[in-house]
Amino acid sequence: MAAFTQTVRSAFTKVPRWVYLTAAWVLAALFPVLNALDLVQTAWIRVGVLSLLFALLALGLNIIMGETGLLNLGYIAFFAFGAYTTALLSSPKFDLHWPFAALIVVSALVAMLGGFLIGLPTLRLRGDYLAIVTLAFGEIVRLTIVNVPTLTNGPNGITGIDFLKPLGPGVTARLQSAGLPQAVSNLLTIDKPTEYYYLVLVCVALGALLLSNLKNSRVGRAWNALREDELAAVSSGITASRMKLLSVLLSSAIAGFAGSLYAYYSNVISPESFIFMQSVIVVCMVVLGGMGSIPGVILGAIVLQALPQVIRESAGAARSEFEVYRMLVFGVIIVAMVVLRPEGLLPDKLWRGQAHEADPRELERTRQTLFDLEEGEQDLEA
Amino acid sequence: MRHGWARKSLVLALAVVLCFGATGLAGCSGQKESTEETSGQGPVETIKVGVQTALTGPLPDYGDAAKKGCELAAKDFGTFEMNGKTYKVELVVLDDKAEPAEAAVVAQTMVDDGVVGVIGSLTTGATLSAIPIYAQNRIPLISGSVTGPKANESGVDTFYRTCWSDAIQGEALAAWAQELGAKKVVLMDDNGAYAVGLADVAEKALKSAGVQTLRQNCQSGDKDLSAQVANIKEFGPDAVIFTGYHPEAGLLRKQMIESGLGDVIFMGGDGIKSTEFIAEAGGTKNAEGCYATFGGFPEAQQPGYEEFAAKYEKAYGAKVGPYAQNNYDAFGALIAAIKAAGSTNTEDIIAALQNLTYEGVTGTFSFASKAEGSVARGDIVVEGLTPANVPRYVVKNGEWVGVE
Repeated sequence: MAAFTQTVRSAFTKVPRWVYLTAAWVLAALFPVLNALDLVQTAWIRVGVLSLLFALLALGLNIIMGETGLLNLGYIAFFAFGAYTTALLSSPKFDLHWPFAALIVVSALVAMLGGFLIGLPTLRLRGDYLAIVTLAFGEIVRLTIVNVPTLTNGPNGITGIDFLKPLGPGVTARLQSAGLPQAVSNLLTIDKPTEYYYLVLVCVALGALLLSNLKNSRVGRAWNALREDELAAVSSGITASRMKLLSVLLSSAIAGFAGSLYAYYSNVISPESFIFMQSVIVVCMVVLGGMGSIPGVILGAIVLQALPQVIRESAGAARSEFEVYRMLVFGVIIVAMVVLRPEGLLPDKLWRGQAHEADPRELERTRQTLFDLEEGEQDLEA
Repeated sequence: MRHGWARKSLVLALAVVLCFGATGLAGCSGQKESTEETSGQGPVETIKVGVQTALTGPLPDYGDAAKKGCELAAKDFGTFEMNGKTYKVELVVLDDKAEPAEAAVVAQTMVDDGVVGVIGSLTTGATLSAIPIYAQNRIPLISGSVTGPKANESGVDTFYRTCWSDAIQGEALAAWAQELGAKKVVLMDDNGAYAVGLADVAEKALKSAGVQTLRQNCQSGDKDLSAQVANIKEFGPDAVIFTGYHPEAGLLRKQMIESGLGDVIFMGGDGIKSTEFIAEAGGTKNAEGCYATFGGFPEAQQPGYEEFAAKYEKAYGAKVGPYAQNNYDAFGALIAAIKAAGSTNTEDIIAALQNLTYEGVTGTFSFASKAEGSVARGDIVVEGLTPANVPRYVVKNGEWVGVE
């Protein structure tokens, strides 16, 4: 039996990585075709859009959490910055209707500014302390949104956000009045779940590409060094504050970008979307998928977002009666995943070793080395 | 190997959960079959009605009551004759966890399922994010519990509600303050959606009647309101309307009396109409003479309440949960609209809802066909209800009693 699993495992590892990755992207791109053929309900496309939006968020959080090793429990606040920026500048609230191209950049910049403001004073904190500060930050942002009704409509949320027009409202209107065929003119407005799906899929693909290049660059290596041992990293010439700030800025910009897409997608935003629980869910996606692993966190996001719907639909005819137990099963499955695969679904090479207990022989060897070193020091002092 | 025991117990736990699921499945499908056999005369057509609510998340008791209200209604109105055919309603109950993102997925699932109408959702955020999807797919959505005046700000013709909008109370408070002869009124809210919405409506109504107003606010959970009390004292009003909930209302009343503002008329919405308000205001003496309106007729005045409560208690062995009768009415109104339309086409049902007058548990009502003043499109229009006869209460001898 053991020999058999060994053969299967080696057969799987022999297939090059790019084959798996290509297959995954092709499958993701073909998913809406199933809906067009009526094999899959439209609700699944919406689950797909949400999964991919959260995959973007998880990719962003992975930069600070997975690569740089800074725990952020208020990450959803940056998502809120992006969503509210877009909502305010493209809704009847102030009767502003900025074009998509400008808003997506402005939303990312606003979230980045938020990241800068919180990052500057807090990055000297480590571990638990940073977690507490970021948690508080996330709640402050949400409570501020609730309590400034003149700007954000408070708990009533902002409704009637414009439909996403990639070319901007002006150009689209001019093109449409120029007498384009209906089919082409419909494509100028992104308002159907499938259209959003492809838009977000492209964004996730670009994000993954950018981040995997960054991961293997000087900057990525510096982040990893800081995560493993800050003192050692600083003494090797890495400017810790600059590198940490860079990672916070980039991750908050990605969250702002995702927030902007979310505002367009949902047409309505309210503070209930940015509660602490959502921050926790994104952290879970990163941890469950595999910290520091780009395919891992994307898979983690998809699994966590899709699982509730999978459980719902698998109850079949008893769906209505089973709804109450759905989140219970969800919890059991998550606990199972954490127990069975503590390193994550698709772990990063560096993290794989850390999730399991160390080999006792390895520990003994380390202890011996430390002991030898201490003895050496004592010799020197003597 | 190290994880051997953990793996085993986990597999066991999963097996137990799956067994529960399977028995649940078997039990339910059994029930369904038996009901179908009894209603077997003539051609039977099954139509689906959705119930989108929050069974898990922050308000499971409200969600459960909504579900039960709809289930009772399905029992009472769910089988009906139309055009020589027997129609039978199948409820599709889905949980949106009161989460806006999940609410969109649930709404789409309902649409995919081919429901002819949906009762829901429970909370404002979830309902707001579901409204555009139902509007786009032309499916009527009737909520029995969303009271925020701005829920249908976009004015779609697919959203209706069978509970009173907070705007009704806002108008009533403004009218009452004027009846009491107030010329200068302070409006104070707690920055929450409910309180701000109510105060906005009341402020607008008072201003348009030429009453001088001052707006103040606090945070829910505040333990000291002396700054606001000082502002109120400086303004010198005849009446103070606090639109939030009883803890801050009680505190405000207490601190106002302490600074010699005991003679100012003190009013509030249904957030303060609770016995706790009396204790929080510092006892019977302090609370005496405070006024409150209420966002619905008292249960004794609801024509069908007694019968409904008996049915509910018999079916579930529990007291009627919050908004259960409003959800019951929502379902009833939807079926009445289907019958009035003589069709299960959603376009026809939407048209019928706009012209429907329905005799429900809570009273006879119709739906507003257009936005007008503080009334939004699809809001409940209760027969014979004016700002002057919204239920009014006053504290007398340490108890809230109705004002005739």
